Amino acid sequence: MTMFKKQVIIECIVALLIMLFLYASISKFLDFKTFIGQMNNQPLPNSWTPFLVWGIPFLEIAISVALLFEYTRLLGLYASLILMILFTVYTSIILLHFFPYIPCSCGGVIQKLTWRQHLGLNLFFVSLSVLGIIQQRSKHFKPIFITTKHSFV
Amino acid sequence: MKRIKWTIMTLAILLSIGGAFASRPHNVQASLYYWTGSSYMPAGTIGVTYVCETSSSICNYYYSNGVYMPYTTSASYTPLALTTTRPAPTKSK
Repeated sequence: MTMFKKQVIIECIVALLIMLFLYASISKFLDFKTFIGQMNNQPLPNSWTPFLVWGIPFLEIAISVALLFEYTRLLGLYASLILMILFTVYTSIILLHFFPYIPCSCGGVIQKLTWRQHLGLNLFFVSLSVLGIIQQRSKHFKPIFITTKHSFV
Repeated sequence: MKRIKWTIMTLAILLSIGGAFASRPHNVQASLYYWTGSSYMPAGTIGVTYVCETSSSICNYYYSNGVYMPYTTSASYTPLALTTTRPAPTKSK
């Protein structure tokens, strides 16, 4: 694969992740009261709500900004992978009926998805983050070729 | 390459902001209703007095132009007091 193609693939992966995180965070801020209610709707302690309602959208925006710039992109990809794994684990716990009830899968158009579809979406973005990390790391990896010209043998 | 990169990024940012504004729901959280089977009643506060549990029905409705419209779909209205909890594990002999 040429360097140009590889770069375009990375840009597309990063663009998809930015779209997800930016869309999710802006949707939350645009309907903040509903988001607080939805957080209370989750089977988590309600004392966590003040931290979650501010922490999650700000973290999503921070990851989007980190993904934009070359210098912080790898960090952003790792952060998005960790966040998506956390969301996936939470979705799996919900689907395994670990909690006393199954809450609505709220948030923008994402609330139209069932929990199974939600899990599929999360897994897709987890794999996208992994692919992005592999591509980004390989971009900076420069193989050293030992030629007979430079060898001592 | 830089031009391609920033074109893709600008497109992604504009699409996400536009999408978020386009899918913004009406501000009806304060006046949501639920269907009792015979009439519509004020739903209360989500997460405090009731939850929307995943199911195939409609959890709550909003009132617009004389019509009750579905608000949270694919969920059912469950008052918190009636939410079933897991039974405590019993010791086996």
